[in-house]
Amino acid sequence: MDRRTFIKSTGGAALLAASGGLATPALSQGASNKVLRFVPQSNLANFDPIWGTQYVVRNAAALVWDTLYGVDDKLVPQRQMVEKEEVSADGLVWTFKLRAGMKFHDGEPVRAKDAVQSLKRWAARDPMGLMITAIQNELVAVDDLTFRWALKKPYPKMLLALGKNNSPCSFIMPERIAQTDPFKQITEYIGSGPMKFKKEEWVPGAKAVFERFADYKPRDEAASWLAGGKKMLVDRIEWIIMPDPATASAALQNGEVDWWENPISDLVPVLKSNRNIMVDIGDPLGNIGAFRMNHLHPPFNKVKIRRAILAAMNQEDYMRGIVGDDNNLWKPIPGFFTPGTPLYTEAGGEILKMKSIDAGKKLLAEGGYAGEPVTCVVAQDQPNLKPMGEVTADLLKKLGMNVDFVATDWGTVGARRAQKTPPGQGGWNMFHTWHAGADCLNPAPYTAIRGNGEKAWFGWPDSPEVEKQVSAWFDAKDLTEEKATIALLNKAALEDVIFAPTGFFLSYTAWRKNVTGITKGPLPFFWGVAKS
Amino acid sequence: MTKPLDPTETAGLVVAPQLPDILPDRKPLKGVVGFCRRNPSIAIGAFLLAIMFVMAIAAPYLWTVDPTALAPSRRTRIPSADYWFGTDMFGRDIYSRVVYGARISLIVGFSVAILASIVGLVIGLVSGMVRWADSLIMRVIDGMMSIPPILLAIALMALTRGSVGNVIIAITIAEIPRVARLVRGVVLTLREQPYVEAAIAAGTRTPMLILRHILPNTFAPMSVQATYICASAMIVEAILSFIGAGIPPTIPSWGNIMADGRTLWQVKPHIVMFPAIFLSITVLAVNLVGDGLRDVLDPRMAKKI
Amino acid sequence: MLAFIVRRVIATIPVMAFVALFVFSLLYIAPGDPAAVIAGDQATPADVERIRQGLGLDRPFLVRFGEWLFRVLRGDLGISIFTSLPVSQLIAQRIEPTVSLMVVTLLLAILIAVPLGVLAAWKANTWIDRLAMAFCVTGFSVPVFVVGYLLAYVFALKLDWLPVQGYTPLSQGVWPWFENLILPAITLGFVYIALIARITRASMLEVLQQDYIRTARSKGVGQTSILFLHALKNAAIPVVTVIGIGIALLIGGAVVTESVFAIPGLGRLTVDAILRRDYPVIQGVVLMFSFVYVLINLLVDLVYTLIDPRIRY
Repeated sequence: MDRRTFIKSTGGAALLAASGGLATPALSQGASNKVLRFVPQSNLANFDPIWGTQYVVRNAAALVWDTLYGVDDKLVPQRQMVEKEEVSADGLVWTFKLRAGMKFHDGEPVRAKDAVQSLKRWAARDPMGLMITAIQNELVAVDDLTFRWALKKPYPKMLLALGKNNSPCSFIMPERIAQTDPFKQITEYIGSGPMKFKKEEWVPGAKAVFERFADYKPRDEAASWLAGGKKMLVDRIEWIIMPDPATASAALQNGEVDWWENPISDLVPVLKSNRNIMVDIGDPLGNIGAFRMNHLHPPFNKVKIRRAILAAMNQEDYMRGIVGDDNNLWKPIPGFFTPGTPLYTEAGGEILKMKSIDAGKKLLAEGGYAGEPVTCVVAQDQPNLKPMGEVTADLLKKLGMNVDFVATDWGTVGARRAQKTPPGQGGWNMFHTWHAGADCLNPAPYTAIRGNGEKAWFGWPDSPEVEKQVSAWFDAKDLTEEKATIALLNKAALEDVIFAPTGFFLSYTAWRKNVTGITKGPLPFFWGVAKS
Repeated sequence: MTKPLDPTETAGLVVAPQLPDILPDRKPLKGVVGFCRRNPSIAIGAFLLAIMFVMAIAAPYLWTVDPTALAPSRRTRIPSADYWFGTDMFGRDIYSRVVYGARISLIVGFSVAILASIVGLVIGLVSGMVRWADSLIMRVIDGMMSIPPILLAIALMALTRGSVGNVIIAITIAEIPRVARLVRGVVLTLREQPYVEAAIAAGTRTPMLILRHILPNTFAPMSVQATYICASAMIVEAILSFIGAGIPPTIPSWGNIMADGRTLWQVKPHIVMFPAIFLSITVLAVNLVGDGLRDVLDPRMAKKI
Repeated sequence: MLAFIVRRVIATIPVMAFVALFVFSLLYIAPGDPAAVIAGDQATPADVERIRQGLGLDRPFLVRFGEWLFRVLRGDLGISIFTSLPVSQLIAQRIEPTVSLMVVTLLLAILIAVPLGVLAAWKANTWIDRLAMAFCVTGFSVPVFVVGYLLAYVFALKLDWLPVQGYTPLSQGVWPWFENLILPAITLGFVYIALIARITRASMLEVLQQDYIRTARSKGVGQTSILFLHALKNAAIPVVTVIGIGIALLIGGAVVTESVFAIPGLGRLTVDAILRRDYPVIQGVVLMFSFVYVLINLLVDLVYTLIDPRIRY
């Protein structure tokens, strides 16, 4: 009997006596083994994975909704809800047949029309979906299990679009729910995935509960990321949101939770020293830190001044701010694409290796920097962004630039970065963000790399060369061609400074030793996870 | 107690003293030593505060380095001969940050105390003296008071960007209602004093009345209240930083040193501990001065029963 | 009495109206865009704009205020922008943890602070008094999260006596419920104990100087009986007042305590809502807080009449 149980029994007895034995019996040991308590990276504040595209929503949605295809750990899309597909010889007509016998959580069968309506809603919000819609002839259900997508020109990356893990994923919902305007939120959370969402137990900001869906029919293949048989080995998954990492760390050590998605690296040594806890890299694809400069307004409308920042910055400073002392968790990246993946390139990356304040000052002078203030908006409530902001402020100060440091929250940064007006009138010069490595594998989901001027992502870089290489990549026939275009793209993006990458970083995930089956991946996969 | 306290009157007196009818006769002081011996809490509080002030003013000469200079290669060091208080997660020297941080805490504490006192005094005077304005002002004050001050300050911070000035304004706005109620309560009581009634009957003009009879008597409770506001403002600054709605991290304040270090509380407690100790000592000093003032200024709190 | 209550309740209407208007206009001029947060990092500005329209955030201030007021009058607090759950449901989910925390804190604080204050007054100017008052001044001087971390570290992590975080509903048993509240209540109660103990001492000191106490004493009434029967009863009014006021203080402290101990309460709901600009939630919560405040003031007034029969309304 440990001290805690002792207190429980004695204190509990005293209180019970006092309260006249009001307590209900505690859950039996067997039952609690089937409940997995998980601390997610952030609060599940909304639960429409098409409407809201934060990663945490996608991660939860992958439990509740299934996808037509799913990428495996080689990033190859595999059939998931689809039984088989056919593509016409000219590549224009795709015909998909769903697996028979799949059910939604409300007991209704999954029909082709559900898939069609869900794809329509998804396509309105997804970069790849929008590309397909632009060249589409029709998207119709043929019979209960078959639907057809006819295009005006071939789209070789169709299966990747339907199976990618980048948000928004093409989750399949019942037709009536998928009829919701893609810019409005759904209010019913019914999917055909392996877990049901317990809406009545959802306390946004505190807790979200998922319960095993008995009628789920997993595929026969072994599970691998979003592909294969999603076999649930626990009956109930409780997401417990903890705003304070120190609390989450203590809760994991005490055994009050089973799995903590993203322990901050400075706390990892404590967790590692606990013999009941396992710690490992969570997502091998990691993240790419970034800050963006506004190409519309001085001083960063001049390419030399943007290059000055790249020449002067030291990615190590940024990465230490985020991951701490652990050298396994970061590496410098002289480019924009995820290290360790096929398209990774360092072409044109010399400037990021300079790390020279003097070179930066020289470029600033050549670019004619005239002491214009640099309005740098930094979200204080985001653990990854706050340190990057402080490093940038220090960098600009060392370069002799005039920094106007705006400390605010993410909600304000989100609103302010959309403003194209000059910094003095509600606009901005700089903000920080980060991209999941899984989004930076190729240009398809990578909106942040685009250089299409006013239509580009915040900062609105205008770079014809980058745009040329992006379309070249979409037309590329094989990996060699893809690699060649990406090298050119990387070089052009650094020449024009689309944005400034601050480094590649990984994060740990930590769990109690009695939990097994946790795999590395871009999102936490719960299938195959057991608790003893 | 024959006359019950009206709760709406006393609501301002969170920790303020009972209202003195007249100022006490002060015994002549026999020098500083005599004063200190009779009022040890003022003496101790003032001494500690003086140290903090000296530290804040002389910060650059106290063997400090640039408190904002990052050095990620020597981050989260524990205290040593090189880094007296260790370094934080960016390798900044905590000793230097704490010493410079005294400036911010003192500026925030004293500015809020002074601003809230002045604005609260004006509002309270108007409310107490001008009958028709009273009910309107009191409704507004009631409304403001019904929003918990910390939440109000957080909301006000969300309105603006984090800066020392905005933190001061946000905390001041949250504190004003309490001062205003206190002053109004004092004014209402004074109005019923015979000598004030006599002055009114004698046709004394309102400004003169305020200047001669009202203001001097608000001084005692106000000054005590101001010290408590000062103390609470320093704590609120720390809490705002804790929530992420405070002073920008590029300016070292005790609040944001603690906010930075709080996630590492378990492994590197020194990051939180040093600023916490300094903050606590300073707030303690201000509270001691407040307690001392209250004993001096309020005869009914006399020491001997 | 009844007339008094009715009058007080009616008097709250302008207060609530002011609060509503104040909060609404505050939010209107606040920067920050919930649509941008919802849309996520991959969204284009056009997407964000569409979402903003979908939420109805592009309409003028007065229209939105009017609609909201009209709904509130019918008892509908609206729908949360982020979760699309009714605000009343979000608040209802979180009332129990916060009320539990407050009640336990309040009881704990009164049980510790009142005897402490009485003791300090009785032993005024002795080392006991000084020690008690030193404790109180310290209580005011330490930020609440520092107290929380210290307690969690010692009692949960090192000694493993109590859980680190979380909240268990009362329906799952009294002990599991209470166990989760002990550390947060001590943390939150720290300032409150200091406050009540000081007021109790001050108030007792004053009463103990009154003639009837001297009379009682000269008649040979026992010390305990003098302190707790005669004196405390008469010293109670300022104490009750300060307990009432302190509840606003508690709500503020609860924000931090709930964060440190991961309690799903109203304080965290409010801070999250403010940081995310979930306007309907902020409005609903603030309206509720002001309602509670008014209610507590009313209660405090009623308690006066119980303590002191001379008070009549």
